[in-house]
Amino acid sequence: MDAVVRRGLVIGLLAGVANVHVSLVGLLISLQTRQLVAGIVTLGSALPLLIALLAGYLAGRYRSAHGEPAPGGRILLAGALAGLVSGGIAALLVVFITQVNVSWIFVNASARLVSGLHFDQDMLVGSVILVVASTLAGLLGAALHVLPRHIARALSIGLIVTLVFALMEPFLGAILRNLGMGAVDRFLFSGGGLTQVGAVIVLAASVAITWAWRTRGAAVTSRRLEAMKPDQRRTAKLVAYAAIAVLLLLLPQIVGQRLSEVLTVVGIYVLLGLGLNIVVGFAGLLDLGYVAFYAVGAYTTAVLTSPSSPLFSPELSFWAALPFVIIAAALIGLMVGTPVLRLRGDYLAIVTLGFGEIARIIFLSEWAKPVVGGAQGILSIPAPLPFERDPQSIYYPILIFCVIAALGAVSLANSRVGRAWNAMREDESVAEATGVSTVKYKLLAFGLGAAFGCLSGALFAAKIGTIFPNSFDILVSINALALIILGGMGNIFGVVLGAAVLVGLPELLREFSEYRLLIYGAVLVVMMILRPEGLLPSRTRRAELHEREDEEEQFDDEAGVDTARPLVST
Amino acid sequence: MTDSTHATTPEPVTPHAHTHGSAGAPAGDVILSARNVTMRFGGLIANRDVNFDIPRGGIVSLIGPNGAGKTTFFNQLTGMLIPTSGDIAFQGQSIVGMAPNEIVALGIGRTFQNIRLFGNMTVLNNVMVGRHVRLKAGWWASLLKLPHVRREEAETRQRARELLDLVGLKRNYEDDWAKNLPYGDQRRLELARALASDPKLLLLDEPTAGMNPGETARMTALIKRLRDELNLTVLLIEHDMKVVMGISERITVLDHGELLAEGRPEEIRSNPAVIEAYLGKGAASA
Repeated sequence: MDAVVRRGLVIGLLAGVANVHVSLVGLLISLQTRQLVAGIVTLGSALPLLIALLAGYLAGRYRSAHGEPAPGGRILLAGALAGLVSGGIAALLVVFITQVNVSWIFVNASARLVSGLHFDQDMLVGSVILVVASTLAGLLGAALHVLPRHIARALSIGLIVTLVFALMEPFLGAILRNLGMGAVDRFLFSGGGLTQVGAVIVLAASVAITWAWRTRGAAVTSRRLEAMKPDQRRTAKLVAYAAIAVLLLLLPQIVGQRLSEVLTVVGIYVLLGLGLNIVVGFAGLLDLGYVAFYAVGAYTTAVLTSPSSPLFSPELSFWAALPFVIIAAALIGLMVGTPVLRLRGDYLAIVTLGFGEIARIIFLSEWAKPVVGGAQGILSIPAPLPFERDPQSIYYPILIFCVIAALGAVSLANSRVGRAWNAMREDESVAEATGVSTVKYKLLAFGLGAAFGCLSGALFAAKIGTIFPNSFDILVSINALALIILGGMGNIFGVVLGAAVLVGLPELLREFSEYRLLIYGAVLVVMMILRPEGLLPSRTRRAELHEREDEEEQFDDEAGVDTARPLVST
Repeated sequence: MTDSTHATTPEPVTPHAHTHGSAGAPAGDVILSARNVTMRFGGLIANRDVNFDIPRGGIVSLIGPNGAGKTTFFNQLTGMLIPTSGDIAFQGQSIVGMAPNEIVALGIGRTFQNIRLFGNMTVLNNVMVGRHVRLKAGWWASLLKLPHVRREEAETRQRARELLDLVGLKRNYEDDWAKNLPYGDQRRLELARALASDPKLLLLDEPTAGMNPGETARMTALIKRLRDELNLTVLLIEHDMKVVMGISERITVLDHGELLAEGRPEEIRSNPAVIEAYLGKGAASA
């Protein structure tokens, strides 16, 4: 059997196992409650197809030992096989659970699961649809490798956008109604998903726009930008910035209360990500205990501002406490940074992991209880006046700090300091032999990272009003690290996007929160396979991880249509 | 056999250089002097009692068979290793125990035997990092992009481009990744990075290794030109005897970690001890 076909079968088997898994843990049933396209397919029913699509795509990524792709026909065959096997296993699962009663072990192996997998059709028709649709999905996934690049890109972006639109129905609908466009809402959305017409429109529009941009728009735009005089270009830039600023300022009003709440959470994680990005992305120091800084910031704010702080309660305002938060940040940064100066790579990661846990355990301990309240935490932390503890209001201080942090990070990245960090990340001993004081720049990275982390913690405390030690567990560190990896290490916009995807989406999809970690894990695994440099990588990361594909990308660069290159690179 | 003017007058070649001048040459003549430098790694002695002076403005070669301890010696001069005993003085100031970056700041720049560029940084940024020690922008000023920082950045960029020109790297390479440059250009880039710190003493570890004869000739000419135009002192480790004999004013030979001989090229060429170290016993008399 040839290698391409074998790859298709193996990946199909794996996808089949994934199908069985999501079916039996109940994710599929739970997604059944949401329509993807009204009257045609629910999210739950679409799940096996999405898995088949991904399987087909992965199967088609075959490279021979010489790095050559397989001929187009073989790729399509492999993709179709992967889809077929994946759908076939799902169909067998249905046969199995209808014949053998396993619901006493797997409570989800129910009639609802069967109807979900069968698109609400009867046994025979249902399995045929499932298998055929899976095969087609696999074929489509593989076809993305065979089609010309820009068409494949447009198709995949179109599919993703459509899916996101359907998922976001409650919020997009609310936004449209807020803006007085109820008619558009009714036209596009229905019953928790897109209408049939809506789905077609969204898909067609996103494909067409992406296609036009990839083939012409980007090139034309950059040519026009180049043709402009410097002062014209500056004006264009200013207009763009002003538009973004206005949008950011009006965002809470546009999106409403519920979504503003999500925005504040995202903002806090953006700040956290920007700080960790300095430590990990710029300076290359893998810090797994970043939550320590977050916790210190939150507790410093709480103790200094809350009237119910147990021992010491100066009841400062949020803003008066801020300088002390920064001082605390600098101290904790040095405290963590100094002992680990001589550690590299894995060792550094393990030690910082320890620091993160130490922080949480100290705040939880009996020993520190008189000051920080132990497990009861600290209550009634005031909001940062003049802003109220209302998502639409507290959004603004968070926005301000995020903007300041982002601008600061960008200017640092493109300065003497950023170069020194980069050099250190590349090769520590050579950096030192070239004149970079690694001691100084490591401490600086930890110090600034701590400052951002502490600010983020301070805002968290002020936003939420009550803090407990258990808000500061290792998941915060992992989230922060995952979001910069997902977004694209070293890139500011990557951090924002990563926070939106990893923190924002789960907040929006609370109804499926049981499966949050499952989805989270799957997303990270798939990302690391498909796009290890993250969604919006810095040029550096991209270069590191794609040595082989360099030539391909350079070709794209020359055409001036490389959308993957971020606006700000480090 | 002790002498005070070895930098300028020819002296008899000494098979055992311990005797070779520790009683100070005039400080103005010697830019770097090593006294009884010994480096031990556990039981292994990489350098034993090496005494070594580099005359200011000279081009001096350090040669010797593989494993003679040449690179180890280099690493001690740049602070990457700290000698087990002995002293190294640069312009009269002891540099033993200083961090590598402090030594760079004093004015010693180096390149590496196996090219060690910052591969995932652009060509221009590699050179700009090299300039790091001469820049003043602190983190606070960089964060705020204060006017003097912008000015300094612009000047640094300008200077880096000049250095790229000087070492003969094409302008259109400057935004490429350092790791994507052809081999010979990577060597040039490493040289530009070292020059960016305005060194007084430049240490080159096999600058022509892996180059073809044409590239080698150009590199040799470049080194000479750099010395003359930038008032440098150059110490190089080199295996290519043609290069060594063609470029060096003085040659020092290390063997098994010890100083074997020191002298002008023609003296070294005819020194029986050196020939024996390179070619084995009997070769000198043959």
